Amino acid sequence: MDRVTRLASQRAVVIFGTSSCCMSHTVTRLFVDLGVNPTVYELDEDPRGRDMEKALSKLLGRNPAVPAVFIGGKLVGSTDKIMSLHLSGGLVPMLRNAGAIWV
Amino acid sequence: MANERTLVCGVQGSFHTSTKFFDEAESDYFGELEEALIHGDPITSSHGPKKGIVETARPPTLEIFPSWPMRHQHHQHPTVEQRKSEQSVESSEESGSVKDTANTTSTGVIAGAQSQVQCRGRGATEGEAQKGLVVIMANGAPQRTGAQQPPPSAPQIQYDNSHTEKKKIIAGSTRKDGKLLDAKTLRRLAQNREAARKSRLRKKAYVQQLETSRIRLQQLEHDLQRARTQGMLLAGCGASGEMSSGAAMFNMDYTNWLEEEGRHVSDLRAGLDAHLIDNNLSSIVDDFITHYDTLFHLKARLAQTDAFHLLTGLWTSPAERCFMWMGGFRPSDLIKIVTPHLDPLTEQQVIRLCSLQQSSQQAEEALWQGFDQLHQFLSATLSSEPLSTDVGADVSNYAGLMDIAIEKISSLENFVRQADHLRRQTLHQLREILTTRQAARCLLAIGEYYRRLRALSSVWATRPRDRALIGNETASPNTVTDLQTIQQSQYAHYSAF
Repeated sequence: MDRVTRLASQRAVVIFGTSSCCMSHTVTRLFVDLGVNPTVYELDEDPRGRDMEKALSKLLGRNPAVPAVFIGGKLVGSTDKIMSLHLSGGLVPMLRNAGAIWV
Repeated sequence: MANERTLVCGVQGSFHTSTKFFDEAESDYFGELEEALIHGDPITSSHGPKKGIVETARPPTLEIFPSWPMRHQHHQHPTVEQRKSEQSVESSEESGSVKDTANTTSTGVIAGAQSQVQCRGRGATEGEAQKGLVVIMANGAPQRTGAQQPPPSAPQIQYDNSHTEKKKIIAGSTRKDGKLLDAKTLRRLAQNREAARKSRLRKKAYVQQLETSRIRLQQLEHDLQRARTQGMLLAGCGASGEMSSGAAMFNMDYTNWLEEEGRHVSDLRAGLDAHLIDNNLSSIVDDFITHYDTLFHLKARLAQTDAFHLLTGLWTSPAERCFMWMGGFRPSDLIKIVTPHLDPLTEQQVIRLCSLQQSSQQAEEALWQGFDQLHQFLSATLSSEPLSTDVGADVSNYAGLMDIAIEKISSLENFVRQADHLRRQTLHQLREILTTRQAARCLLAIGEYYRRLRALSSVWATRPRDRALIGNETASPNTVTDLQTIQQSQYAHYSAF
């Protein structure tokens, strides 16, 4: 859990996913298209991945825990949340506030 | 006792027409013939066993008077009369349900020319006497008596004769006899009447039941037919056999949803035309949006079991299916379609709409990329084992391969749900940005657009094919011009919207 929060606060946009999860790829792709440079952690390639995954599912309150997106160190949510946020126009301001984009 | 009943049946004139007639006259005839029977009884009482059987018969059963044929065998009577009565009985029987009467175990009541007949005397020792009476009781139709095909003429004639004889007997009977048996026979009479009434009621109830069942069956068949045609129209003819049960259910649900949508559309149109105040119109608009939410909910539920069905679009019409995006409409396309019809828009609205369109385009792209990656993973997995090897040779690897592939496919559900989520969010955002009236026009535009797509599908499906037979060169321009005219007419309507 601490590792999760620690890693999450190191960068403006942190995405936890797995290499086989295609939805993680979607989310990553969205941020890239927005001009963000997200940091992606593949939990299946991390030795402590399972613990982190458990912690994340507790945080998110759902399974699967990935993808999990942190912006400015704060947990935003999974794909659903990100999409809703983006369509309502709230994602870009959030990114701007976190310093992920400068436009 | 049922003896009088048998007499009644045997009477030529009494059976002329309808059940109703018989009912009315029944009691009269019962009374009259009862007397006859009473007096006839002592005469035939010499036939001991038969009489015993007569007495042991139960009220609602049809008593077969055994002794008459034996007694009157030598008499000749025109069979025509008997036949006539049979026929009249037959016609009156038409409405009722006729059961096979040959069996000695069948039960029924004659009242009102009911068709059910019981052969009294389970021992069936009465032989032709019973047969004869059965024939008459059973409406005289020989075929109905089943196995026992009695010699038509003799017993009937005898029956008839016995009746006339009985009449004579009545005329010459002594009063003393009548009074002696009065109490008992009165009771029997009453019982018979009661039993007759009861079985009439039973028959009525039964017929009622049959009628309601018939109506229900008709309705079910109609619904089934409608659903089938809808399903075929929507799903295309070929695939229906391969559909999973969840998919079939979903198709039906979707058909219902479309019907409901039609109602929402007309409500909305009426609301707009009536220039309702915003509050009232708003509730109609919100209802419509909730209706769309219902559809997404249905789709999410099916995605859990059969995501393929949603993605292949077999639940929609061919034209819709052709340009489908991940199991439904493409949000940014929809925004593009409705925007021209929302004028006048404030500048802020324009900005918001543009940004919405852009965001959804980005989201769509991202989703599509993820979906494509899924596809790449799947391809890689399925082609990981050398494709040219004989599968049978390496079953375990094959099974493992399938397992991995299945796991990859499992995220298919997620993609469909995310796509629907995008669609749902788009609709809700539109509602946010637009005024009530604009939102109403927006929803109407969406509804109409898809209605036209569906109409296009059916026009396309029913277009004349004979041109194709003439020759390819001539065929294509014709069909193209056909489509063009359709499109033009649709665009004409569309721009006027």
